[in-house]
Amino acid sequence: MNDKMKKMATGILASVMAVSLAACGSENANTPSNSNASGSGNSGSGSGEKVTIELAISKSSQDSAFIAQDLLDEFEQKHNIKVNLQLLPAEQTATVLQTKLAVDETPDIIQYNLASAVTDLNLERNFEILDNEPWVARLLNKDVLSAEGHVYSFHVSQDTGMQGVVYNKDIFKELGLEIPNNFEEFLAVCEKIKASGITPVFMPFKDAWAANIWPAAAFADYAAKNEPALFDDINANRKKWADIPEFATFLQQQYDVYKKGYTNADILSDSYDMAVGKFLNKEVAMMFMGDWLIENVSEKDPNMHLGLFAIPSAEGASLGASPLGGQLFVPKKAKHLAEAKKFLEFIATKEIAQKIVDNQGYVSNFNDVNTPELPEYKQEIVDQYITPKKTVLTTDAYMLVDRSELYRLLQDEFAGGLDPQGVLKAWDEKFNQLMKDKGVAGF
Amino acid sequence: MKISKKLYSYYLIWPALIIYSVFFVFPALTGLYYSFTDWRLDRETIKFIGWDNFERIFTDKTLLLAIKNTCIFAVVTVLGKNILGIALAVGLNMRLKSKNILRAIFYSPSILSVLVISIVFTPMLRSEGTINKLLDTVGLHSLSQAWLTDPSIVIWTVAAVSIWQHTGFQMAIYLAGLQSISKEYYEAATIDGAGSWKSFTAITLPLLLPAININLMLTLIGGLKVFSEVFVLTGGGPGNASQVVGTIILRSFGEGSWGLGTAVNTLLFAAVTIIAIPLLIFMRRKEVSE
Repeated sequence: MNDKMKKMATGILASVMAVSLAACGSENANTPSNSNASGSGNSGSGSGEKVTIELAISKSSQDSAFIAQDLLDEFEQKHNIKVNLQLLPAEQTATVLQTKLAVDETPDIIQYNLASAVTDLNLERNFEILDNEPWVARLLNKDVLSAEGHVYSFHVSQDTGMQGVVYNKDIFKELGLEIPNNFEEFLAVCEKIKASGITPVFMPFKDAWAANIWPAAAFADYAAKNEPALFDDINANRKKWADIPEFATFLQQQYDVYKKGYTNADILSDSYDMAVGKFLNKEVAMMFMGDWLIENVSEKDPNMHLGLFAIPSAEGASLGASPLGGQLFVPKKAKHLAEAKKFLEFIATKEIAQKIVDNQGYVSNFNDVNTPELPEYKQEIVDQYITPKKTVLTTDAYMLVDRSELYRLLQDEFAGGLDPQGVLKAWDEKFNQLMKDKGVAGF
Repeated sequence: MKISKKLYSYYLIWPALIIYSVFFVFPALTGLYYSFTDWRLDRETIKFIGWDNFERIFTDKTLLLAIKNTCIFAVVTVLGKNILGIALAVGLNMRLKSKNILRAIFYSPSILSVLVISIVFTPMLRSEGTINKLLDTVGLHSLSQAWLTDPSIVIWTVAAVSIWQHTGFQMAIYLAGLQSISKEYYEAATIDGAGSWKSFTAITLPLLLPAININLMLTLIGGLKVFSEVFVLTGGGPGNASQVVGTIILRSFGEGSWGLGTAVNTLLFAAVTIIAIPLLIFMRRKEVSE
């Protein structure tokens, strides 16, 4: 009796597993055809009853202007479509979205960063091309919303955020310093600041990504001026990162700033979250960072005068422009595709877009929406860099694979494990592997 | 015999068995399958690729470093937690007035969240942090280190923090073990003229073996599966210097290499099983009964 039961239990268990394994296998085979079907099937839905669309957004972006409650209410009133928010835990946003897209639990709209969507979310496979939406014709700068030659995302702003050297203008004024135009001038500026008893540069390299600001802008500036096709070549395996001697020079420059004693002492223990405090206490004069730091500091103390200048890696270098973040995307498998697109149309209307641009101090991306008066530092960036076209998209914009290993290698340079050429060689190896895994031609 | 079997029907095993199968056996087996595939973020189809993932694990320098670090961490913490745990337990099993309060104090770190530990220890372990200042004050400047940022010692630092946190838990198990040893053995030994070291090795250790078994298992499995201590203290850094198998799994998933991540996971599971089960059988044989 007992043995019989055991046998039965084992048998049933085995068959349950066999069935579920088989189900798993066939699901994968069906996916492509499934997505097509749902794509065409849903576009026709537009009947009278109320529809609820799901918008997934990282908790860290919950201040986004696109999900302000009054905006959602107005949309619901006008179009009888309710927007339900899914707030995702910040540190798991990518993983949760990957899972949702993989198991067909797709939200109708996602807020994410375009550059990361390319590497994390498989943009081409998962998201709608928006080239034919009515608002596209009014865009001033299509590039910030595009990848692979198509508009994939939506935003009312074209201000991508800039990366360079954040500096304390008051300290520069007190010490009579000019903005440095090349690396030698930059070292001279550091020397003078150090002599006055202030730490010239804050390097929070416990956060490995912070070590990437200098090279990301310097590499891109070099490529734009000397080899415009360089990143295309690298992404097709016609060139290696270690082939460009200037890249090693740029990494060496950042290391020299540390070695010459122009930074905080314990750079690998200090983290980015300490930066605002360091600037408020006037302990540090400069940092290689994005202009979002200036925004964060002035929120705490509006009397702080911070500015931004280009990473001085070469004579007259351009200011690094980060790829734009916080765009809205519509997944191909969205259950309410038409309604989701209607939401984008609604935000793109002149009145709504103007309201958001005014409130947020954005640089408008629509030809019929006016850019409001900008904060001082931003106006300076516009006058000195954007208008004279002295900006360049950082390397991040060209990376097709996860960059965190590069960040760790940069960190290792400062831990003494690798020299600049070693960093580039090790990254070549990892990059090659990741590109091969991704199935990019040439690898 | 027959009656006792009929008391509870065999059917009662079903709910637990089903839950166990659905939430453990089935995922574990699918995991095993996926570790032989090229399952990736940007692949539409999943292909069976044999041992490729495992081959990669043993040729990738970072992955090998992570395996080495995991072994260092496991060995150091097993020794540290158990030797200190027994020492503390024996000490606090003596007739001390303050023994209850001391037990509570030594146990308390193990109820703290590892995040709290990281917030407390990170500033202490900085190069100008409390620990180095303390060493300077007592004239041991030569011993001060960049504890969490020097690639050659970082994994040892993390292991030390883990020992500090968990020794109290091991101590509690040893205390329970000690209290089950009858006082008469010690009395007899004293009469026979055994010193305290002799009674420790001849009575305490053999009779403590069941507790030692449990603790060795727990610390070894915990040591091989280490993730949170490394993640919160160093994030695997500087560079990749303190990566362990657990953080490598996270990294592989982050890079979208899901198949590879699952393979590393499978390997870890296999390693834990292969090391733990023979050890358990070996230690069981050594156990003596009173």
